[in-house]
Amino acid sequence: MDILVVLEDKSGNIHRMSQEAIAGAQQIGGECGLSIGVLALGENAPALAEQASQYAVEEILSLENKYLFNYTADGFAAAVAQVVSSEKPKYVFFGHTYQIRDYVPRVSAKLKRPFLNDIVSYSVQGGKPVFSKQAFNAKLVTALQLIDDSPCIVSFQSAAFSSDTIQSGLVSVRSVTVNIDAGSIKTVPEDPFQETAGGVDLSSADLIVSIGRGISKEENISIAQELAKAMGAEIASSRPVVDSGWLPPHHQVGSSGQTVAPKLYLALGISGAIQHVVGMKGSKNIVVINKDPDAPLFEIADYGVVGDLLEIVPKLTEAIQGFKN
Amino acid sequence: MSEREVLDMDVLFVGAGPASLAGAIHLKRLLRESGQEANVAVLEKASEVGAHSLSGAIVDPRALRELFPNYNDADFPFEAEVTEEHLYYLTATKKIPFPFVPPPMSHHNCFVTSLGKLTRWLGGICEDEGVDIFCGFAGTELLYDGDQVIGVRTGDRGIDKNGEKKTQFEPGADIHAKVVILGEGTRGSLTKKLINRHELMQERNPQVWAVGVKELWRMPAGTVPPGYVTHTMGFPLGHDIFGGAFLYGMQNDIWDLGLVVGLDYKNPAVDSHHELQRLKNHPWIRSLLSAGQMIAYGAKSLPEGGWYSIPRLAVNGALLIGDSAGFMNGQRLKGIHLAMKSGMLAAETTADALSTGNFTATQLADYESRVESSWIRDELWKVRNFHQGFDRGLLGGLANAGMGLLTGGRGWGFKNRLFSEAGHKKMKKIVEKNRYKDLQFDGTYLFDKVTDVYYSATAHEENQVPHLHINDQNVCTTKCAEEYGNPCVKFCPADVYEMVPDGDGQRLQINFSNCVHCKTCDIMDPYQIIDWVPPEGGDGPVWVNL
Amino acid sequence: MNICVLVKQVPGSEAHFSVSADGLWIQETELPFEMNESDNYALEEALQIREQKGTGEVVVVSLGPDRCKKAIREALAKGADRAIHIKEDAPYNTDPYAIASALANTIKDEGFNLVLSGLQSDDLGFGQTGVILGELLGMTTATLVVGTEVQDGKIRVKRELEAGWFQWQTMDLPASLAIQSGLNTPRYPTLKGIMTAKKKEIKELSFADICAVDELQSFNGLSVQHAEKQTEMIAGSVDQIVARLVDVLKNEIRIN
Repeated sequence: MDILVVLEDKSGNIHRMSQEAIAGAQQIGGECGLSIGVLALGENAPALAEQASQYAVEEILSLENKYLFNYTADGFAAAVAQVVSSEKPKYVFFGHTYQIRDYVPRVSAKLKRPFLNDIVSYSVQGGKPVFSKQAFNAKLVTALQLIDDSPCIVSFQSAAFSSDTIQSGLVSVRSVTVNIDAGSIKTVPEDPFQETAGGVDLSSADLIVSIGRGISKEENISIAQELAKAMGAEIASSRPVVDSGWLPPHHQVGSSGQTVAPKLYLALGISGAIQHVVGMKGSKNIVVINKDPDAPLFEIADYGVVGDLLEIVPKLTEAIQGFKN
Repeated sequence: MSEREVLDMDVLFVGAGPASLAGAIHLKRLLRESGQEANVAVLEKASEVGAHSLSGAIVDPRALRELFPNYNDADFPFEAEVTEEHLYYLTATKKIPFPFVPPPMSHHNCFVTSLGKLTRWLGGICEDEGVDIFCGFAGTELLYDGDQVIGVRTGDRGIDKNGEKKTQFEPGADIHAKVVILGEGTRGSLTKKLINRHELMQERNPQVWAVGVKELWRMPAGTVPPGYVTHTMGFPLGHDIFGGAFLYGMQNDIWDLGLVVGLDYKNPAVDSHHELQRLKNHPWIRSLLSAGQMIAYGAKSLPEGGWYSIPRLAVNGALLIGDSAGFMNGQRLKGIHLAMKSGMLAAETTADALSTGNFTATQLADYESRVESSWIRDELWKVRNFHQGFDRGLLGGLANAGMGLLTGGRGWGFKNRLFSEAGHKKMKKIVEKNRYKDLQFDGTYLFDKVTDVYYSATAHEENQVPHLHINDQNVCTTKCAEEYGNPCVKFCPADVYEMVPDGDGQRLQINFSNCVHCKTCDIMDPYQIIDWVPPEGGDGPVWVNL
Repeated sequence: MNICVLVKQVPGSEAHFSVSADGLWIQETELPFEMNESDNYALEEALQIREQKGTGEVVVVSLGPDRCKKAIREALAKGADRAIHIKEDAPYNTDPYAIASALANTIKDEGFNLVLSGLQSDDLGFGQTGVILGELLGMTTATLVVGTEVQDGKIRVKRELEAGWFQWQTMDLPASLAIQSGLNTPRYPTLKGIMTAKKKEIKELSFADICAVDELQSFNGLSVQHAEKQTEMIAGSVDQIVARLVDVLKNEIRIN
């Protein structure tokens, strides 16, 4: 295959970002005439391979190995490097998840091939894809130049592609094996656990509802929180809300807060001072609701509503609860 | 780490500006020449030398040449020698050149300079001389033994906004020194305390300040002539507000545009930031700048009172230098050379004091004699009544200045000394709304305050007690709102003060994180209830070449 | 316990910068620089581990032009014992593989038990260097580290997983860890720290001499991301607005 997409396991299902990577592979593969293979590895490899077999790709590889049952960077890096060495794709695609950050640089080092991480877009030049990533805290973007043709390893930022565009097909699964030496696994993981986080990492949130001064009063914040809950979104805010003590600082988005680039940034009553905008302008879809038609934030909005959020938001929440049920 | 650090030094300069750095360099050399050993340190609240330095500036190289007699002018970190200079009177649309530039206002043989670049350069030499420069440490208290200043305490670090200690809490350090030299710059906070405690302004005119706001603009390559100098009067300030604009050509295709506004205006609606934006509306300025991009913004006050506003300069154990002492020539718009010379003179006094072991006010008053017999006095004496003439408006001020030129500095041609009052007292109780109603901020050429603040690269540790102490916040929502319309909202060039809706009324919100340390609020508040104290060390602007 | 901390100097977080005239890098001349944020946490973690163990060196390694001496001195003032400055002037190498290889070359004979680096740099934002370095030197690696516990010959680290999940794992030493911001509280440098920092060793090397591999990838110019936005303004009655918003969220943005 020309493109090998490596799947990540999310409790027995293909991780959404791996799906997005497949969608990306199909899109890029279509434009550049590249064939696609998919690799499932880990404890749930067969289940993942089964799910992937319904996508329009050329090959599905299922890799089962006892040293891959629990994720370790040692094991996964060794396994993927071996598969890439034997399958020789031109490109290896991943979704840019925390797990990828943990082990794929080692694949890059083992293979001495470049890892282009957190890619946000691509263009086709001379029949080949050229990948772009953000730099300087997402303020700037650069197209990455490669020393030679291939292979290169690429991970895509969340929502660079949409899993909704995956084309379906029917492919059979082939097993592959790797040799992993017991002594090469030098990491013993324990069970994952959840913590009521002191701070939410907004930068990994997919959907954000963000509150600005236009919320007017502390009491009104619950209106926004209800909406966030209905949508499954995280709550963020601009600086004045935090300064007034209405929300704790870790919700702040902006030059002195967090930088985010979610699939959806729904801004309620935020005017769009530059200090705030630099923290969120990379968002894939920006929806702005503000009473003030001159609010600068409308300039970077995909959808804008000049209106009273106190009227609109509760009804929006109701409607969303409706379609979710 | 929660024991207070104690450090013993011989001499401590507070503030790594040109005065202290020149002083420290000179002192180290004097000590070496006389075979003495002494520990000399400089305390600086910014995270690095130069980060809080802001000026126009045009530098008279006199002090630098004295300090570095073996250097050529090309060795100094100037932008360029002044190549052409202009003086204009502006109306809203026209620019009218002055028929000639009065010699004392000429900048011939002077150099366009970035003060940040100059202080960084001086800082490097200072360190090479063996001086310890402690950046990120703010001097918050003077240490006394009876009536003798024996050192400086730096601010605690790691206190949260409720005044509680955070995990990384470090108590302030006590730096003991035989001589403490305050070179904190304009409206120094320790200087303020020293002046009050020892009544150093007795029989002097109260100090009067101005605030300078500026923007740096990066232009297309090759379009800015380094060394180009223009000063203007008239638009936008008119005749009743002291001040004027400056435009200097720097290296790297940068225009340095600024406006100086006297902090003794009567109208509480005046907003120096907005006046700068109005200035940019002038077609001539627009023609120069609109092809470029604004890259930096800053503001700083400057002492304008002149000779008669300089306090007594020596107390037991401490000296005042530079802008903290008010060594600024308002007519020539130059103070850096005076600051450096004052630092050097203080160094000479200090070297003598160290050799005698006597650090009393009597011994240290030698510094005052040195200043009296130096070119600092020669120069400032001739312009001793300059600012005071502008109490009668622009034309009065120019007439007074003209007469001063002919009479060696006499006020109105015949008075030896003109008296004046503090600037904040001049503010009248009129509330002009809509002064700036025609000013539209487009975000690409004219910027609102919040956007300009973003370009001042200023940041403060968010979780700390605001460093702007308002002694009675009730005044803000009652008396001040009625009488003056909350001028703090306008006179602060950094959007620190805001009146925000609170229930049925309003409350004062202090966005201390925007503060650029210009000290305007401490100076201009009509009730004098704002006390500016240094925030946590390392906080504030991070200016590079302002 | 000898620990190496990789420290990078990056443009100040509050700084506004623009692309240089040739479009290849950013305009550096008017910019303030500071230590990369997560590197500061890595340094603090190293200092704390060394304090717990009682012995060992903390050595700072930094790659960059002359100005990064400021970040190095800050690290020394906070308690690092010595530093290695690999000098590189613009144009800078932008390939984490080449950079990590050069760093590996520099430290391979030092026998460090731990290499700590910040999770990613605020300028290039690759987040790979520490991990590649670990692989090249045969170390175990972990990223998004939010807690450490040194044991005998091993280290137990807490890793951040997505969505509020965490996981501990025990790894053999030597290990290379990429540290997430916020896991500790970085200390302030003390006056004495600043004074003694002046006497600490900063070994200078040249990147050109050490880097033995070519860049596998490089930045090809920089530009501002263009929001080629067509804003759809949604108007009407509240009900109409809500209906359109729901449609957008459900069918166009697909929030599901």
